[in-house]
Amino acid sequence: MAFLATFLIRRLAQGVIIVLIVSFAIFTALRLVPGDPARLILGPMASDAVVEKTAQEMGLREPIPVQYVHWLGQVVHGNLGTSFIKARNGSEVAGSRDADALGDKAPVMDLLAQTVPMTLQLAALALVFAFLISVPIGIIAGLNAGGWFDRFALYLGSAFVSIPNFWLAIVLALVVTAELQWIPSIGYQGFAYTILPAFVIAIEMSPVFMRSLSISVASAKQRNFVQLADVRGLSKRRILFRHILRNAAVPVLNIFGVQIGALLGGVLIVEYIFNYPGVGLLTVQAVLQRDFPVIQGVALLSACLFVVINILVDLVSTKIDPRLDF
Amino acid sequence: MPSEAALPSAATSVKSRGETTGRRMWRATYQQFEFKLGLFFLILLVGAALIYPELTNESPTRMHIMQRFWPPAFLPGGHWNHLLGTDQLGRDLFIRSLIGLQNALLISVSAVIIMFVVGAIIGLIAGYYGGIVDTILMRITDAQLAVPVIILAITILTVHRPTPESVTLVLALSGWPAYARVTRSVTLAERQREYVRGAKILGATPLRIIVQMISPNVLPPIAFVAVLDIARMMIFEAILGFIGIGVQPPTPTFGNIIADGRQYLINAWWISTMPGAFLFTTLLGINLVGSSIERARNKVLEGRI
Repeated sequence: MAFLATFLIRRLAQGVIIVLIVSFAIFTALRLVPGDPARLILGPMASDAVVEKTAQEMGLREPIPVQYVHWLGQVVHGNLGTSFIKARNGSEVAGSRDADALGDKAPVMDLLAQTVPMTLQLAALALVFAFLISVPIGIIAGLNAGGWFDRFALYLGSAFVSIPNFWLAIVLALVVTAELQWIPSIGYQGFAYTILPAFVIAIEMSPVFMRSLSISVASAKQRNFVQLADVRGLSKRRILFRHILRNAAVPVLNIFGVQIGALLGGVLIVEYIFNYPGVGLLTVQAVLQRDFPVIQGVALLSACLFVVINILVDLVSTKIDPRLDF
Repeated sequence: MPSEAALPSAATSVKSRGETTGRRMWRATYQQFEFKLGLFFLILLVGAALIYPELTNESPTRMHIMQRFWPPAFLPGGHWNHLLGTDQLGRDLFIRSLIGLQNALLISVSAVIIMFVVGAIIGLIAGYYGGIVDTILMRITDAQLAVPVIILAITILTVHRPTPESVTLVLALSGWPAYARVTRSVTLAERQREYVRGAKILGATPLRIIVQMISPNVLPPIAFVAVLDIARMMIFEAILGFIGIGVQPPTPTFGNIIADGRQYLINAWWISTMPGAFLFTTLLGINLVGSSIERARNKVLEGRI
């Protein structure tokens, strides 16, 4: 257990450093942007004096490191600031001349609380689809390495990585939703609206899983203990699940950790196309409207997610394969 | 993206049998049917993109007001004047796709070269020196990996007007960490080898060791896999164009052509889908070629050939 504790402490400390670097970089980049956030909030009609006053109140005239430390202090207390643009009731109040409108803006925390579950639902379904596609194909291809099915899997994988995700999204929305009217998409009015976006993300992700699974199954099959298992008279089933898959699972898990960034990228563009109300859509809107607090919140969240998932991946890997050292 | 797991140490590549590693890799690559198929697609499409615009007097921005919304030639109502049909302004989609392909190739190939060079330099330095230098460089790399690239890209390109140069740099930014990590992990193994220790004892400077001794052994296998990244960058470039922060119109890119056609999807579906299919075929060619090279490399490095 002490083993586990030191591992966790070390990895978490590294994780905190990564998150600090990321958040500081994004924070600085956003502050170096030409254009005054105070002007953005108040709109073109506000007088310079009012803009200056608001900027002072918001701390926008302080040096960047001071602003950063201030922001960080708030984050530690669970306060990610309030959106520049979005109002509590969901409408957009950019350019309102009423300086008091600042009070009605939605806290970033609330915006994230609304969108994160939606994105988790999408990502989870996408992962389920991705595994449904890639696990059977990857295993069969790996067991028959060099055979016709292996080649088929190879072509399928090449085809899948070559499909631009946004184009697939448009084509599916056109054919499946508009023409055939099988599955609704565009917007969100129920679980069915998750299916097409999740499918697009799954197509994007599955080639990597398929390939790494078939490669590791193929190499596990060559190992002595697997070949011996046959001689020992173990059932095919037992050999597959206990010997081959258990060994093949670790590389696939590691790939999954690396793929998290790509998954988030896919989620973002797909949510934007399908108008799916998750973090991705929130982010694209925030960036296009220069809603800095929201962008910072999302960047912080995704950096934390990346760190935590990679720690989890390592933990689960050692659980599956006890020979791995922390 | 080159993965660390899939990269056997260069140490296994010493078996030469009188043939250089490069030659054996080329032979192993060329033997695969997928390679020839992919190459066929590529020669066809890239060749068309380079040659056809020179031969025709059609231009990607020329509008034929009387020929708007023409379907592709192979559909009823289509005409061979416009192979892939025309868009809402009567512009020829075939020539627009070809010019889009030219731009996409130029941008993504440059981006891959930049990310490879930057990643290789950082990886070589981190791997060779180790210790505190390694720790700092790798934390920066991890930090870059922890930000979803697309957020960073959108942020940068909304702030600065997107030009071909800035789009290229943003794409390069997205890819260098993978190269830094792979290069570092191979360099770590390489610096333990006899010849490096020997060179150190003989008093070779670190620069000389890294540039003249380690790089030639470590980098080529990584460079070959970079072909696959060209395809990834082309998709990424198209995504940026689609959101409206890629290279700006009137310059045609796959992204902005597809985004333009989106509002006419129901009546003129080919405006968005045909250039997309064109892009897909190109990417398929690159991916088939790239993965054949990757497999050949793995075979050669594992000493199976």
